[in-house]
Amino acid sequence: MGFFKEIRKNVDLYILALPGLLFLLIFAYVPMSGHLLAFKKYQLMNGIWGSPWVGFDNFKFFFQGHDWIQVTFNTLFLNGLFIIFSLLISASVAILLNEIRMKLFKKLAQSIIFLPYFISWLVVSLMVFAILNTGDGLLNKFLITLGLPEVAWFQKSGAWPAILTIIYVWKFAGYYSVIFLASITGISSDYYEAAEIDGASRFQQIIHITIPLLKPIIIMLALLGVGRIFYGDFGMIYGIVGDNGVLFPTTDVIDTYSFRALRQLGNFSMSAAVVFYQSIMGLICIVVFNGLVRKIDKDSSLF
Amino acid sequence: MREKTFGMGMNLIVLLFALFCFVPFWLVFIDSFASEASFMAHGYQLLPSALTLDAYKFILQGDQIFRSYRVSILVTIIGTALSVIITAMYAYVIANRKVKYRNILSFLTYFTMVFGAGLVGFYILIANWLHLKDSVWALILPYLLNPFYAFILVSFYRTLPYEINESATIDGAREIRIFFKIILPITAPAIATITLFYALQYWNDWWLSLLFIDNYKLHPLQMMIRQLISNLNVSSYVSGSSTSYSVSAPTNVVQMATVCLTIGPIVLVYPFVQKYFVRGLTVGAIKG
Repeated sequence: MGFFKEIRKNVDLYILALPGLLFLLIFAYVPMSGHLLAFKKYQLMNGIWGSPWVGFDNFKFFFQGHDWIQVTFNTLFLNGLFIIFSLLISASVAILLNEIRMKLFKKLAQSIIFLPYFISWLVVSLMVFAILNTGDGLLNKFLITLGLPEVAWFQKSGAWPAILTIIYVWKFAGYYSVIFLASITGISSDYYEAAEIDGASRFQQIIHITIPLLKPIIIMLALLGVGRIFYGDFGMIYGIVGDNGVLFPTTDVIDTYSFRALRQLGNFSMSAAVVFYQSIMGLICIVVFNGLVRKIDKDSSLF
Repeated sequence: MREKTFGMGMNLIVLLFALFCFVPFWLVFIDSFASEASFMAHGYQLLPSALTLDAYKFILQGDQIFRSYRVSILVTIIGTALSVIITAMYAYVIANRKVKYRNILSFLTYFTMVFGAGLVGFYILIANWLHLKDSVWALILPYLLNPFYAFILVSFYRTLPYEINESATIDGAREIRIFFKIILPITAPAIATITLFYALQYWNDWWLSLLFIDNYKLHPLQMMIRQLISNLNVSSYVSGSSTSYSVSAPTNVVQMATVCLTIGPIVLVYPFVQKYFVRGLTVGAIKG
C-alpha cells in the first residue's frame, strides 16, 4: 500500500499524531543540526549554515587540554556512585518496608521517604546549604558540640562525590523503592509459606527468597543507568554546586562544562564539540547496554 | 524472641532513614519562622528560640512572589494541559494497530531518547530561530512531549481490548471521536498519572528559565529561589525599590520562607496524589 493511500485511509489517526510529530521534529530533530557547529567556527552573524567549516579544530582544542579527562572521569565516576548506592539502598529500604507489620507506620514512612522526589534541585540546594554551611550550618554546629573542628564543606572538593551521592540517594530512594516494592509484592506467597514450614526465619526468607528474586530488576535498572552514564543530571549538579569553581575538580561533569562554555564563555563551537562527544559516547553506551538488557529480559529493553 | 528483636531492628532502621529524609524539610520549614535575631545568633536550628512571621510578611509585601506564582501557575497549567493532550493523542496512534507507520513513529520517538540534540542546537533554536527569549512559551513548549511518558501511555493503551475500537468503528464513529469519547475516559487513571508527572516537571523546572528568561518579571518560583540564593540584593528583588534601606532584609530566613511557599502546594497535594505516582512508576516500571 502506498504512502498516500495509507495516510488517506487513516487520516484521522495521523491528525491525532500530528502535534506530537511536529513537536519531535522541531524540538528534537531540528536542534540536532547544532552538532554541525562542532565542525565550524560559529559566527553569530552568519548562523549555523553560514559559518565557516574548521574540520576537527574544536575537538583538537577540547582534547588537547586535561579538561576532557577530568569532566569525563567526573561524569562516569559520579554516575557510577549514584547508580550503585541508590539501587542498593533503595532495594534495602524496600525490603525493610515490606517487612513492617504496622500498616500506619509503613505508609507514613513510605510517604516521607518518597517526599524528596517531589522538590526541585534548587530547593535541595538550599537545604544542603542549611546543613553544610560553615558558621551557621547544622552539621558544623553538631561537629562543634561534639568537640570536633568545623569543616568548610563548600571548599573541600574531595568530599563532594560522597556528599552528592548522599543527596542523590536521599532524593531517589523513595522513587526506586516504589519500583522494588511493587516487584516484591509480585513475589508469590507460596515461596514464603513453604520456607516457613521448613522453619526459615524472616531474616533467612529475605536472604534466600526476596533478594534473589529482586536481583534481576536491580541488574536491569543498573544496566539502564549505565546506558545513560554519559549524561549527568545538570539540574542537580548545577543547582547544588553552581559556579563554585573550588569544587570543579570533583564535580564538573560534561553537562555543566558545556553549559559554561555556552552561557558564560559564549563559545558555541567549543560547547558543540563537547556536546557532540557526549552524544556519540552516550549513543554507544545506550546501544551496547540496551543490547545487554535485551539479552537478559527482552521486555525491559528500551528498543 | 529473636524474630521480635529482628522486627524491632528493622522498624528502627526504617524510622532512622525516614528521619534522614525528613530533617531537611523540617529544617527549612521551622527556620522560615525564625526571627532574624535568633537566626543571627544561632544560625540554622532544629528548634529556633523565637518564632515569628516576619519573613513571610516581608515576602508578601513585595510584588515578586505574586508575579512568580502567576508565572509558575500559568506555565504549569497551560504546559500540563497541552502536553497531556498531545502525548495522549500521539501515544494512542503508536499503540493503534491500524496505523501502518506506527513503528516508524515509535522509532522516531525512541531515537530522541538515545541521541541528544545537545544544548547548543537547542539554545539556538529557542533563542535565535523561534525568538522565544523572555517569553513564557520558552518555559512551556520544550516539554510538550516526553517520550518516557508517551511510552507509559502506549503500554496502557495496548492493554485495552481491541474490540472497543472495532465495535465503535462499526457503529460509524470516526477515530477522533472514538479517541475523545471512549478512549480518553476509560484511560483516565493513566492520564491522571502522566498529568501529575508533567505538572511536577513544569512546576519544578528552572533550567529553561535559567537559559531563556532574563526579565525578572517573568521569573517562575524556582527562578525566584535561585535569584534569592545567588543574589546579594534580596530586598530590591523581593520588594522592589520601595523598601527603605534602613531595614536590612532577613536574607536567609526569607530564602527559607520562599522555599516553603513554593513547595507548599506540592506537600499539601502530595498525600492525595501519591498513589497515582506509584501507579505510574510501577506500570512504566523500568522504562522510567
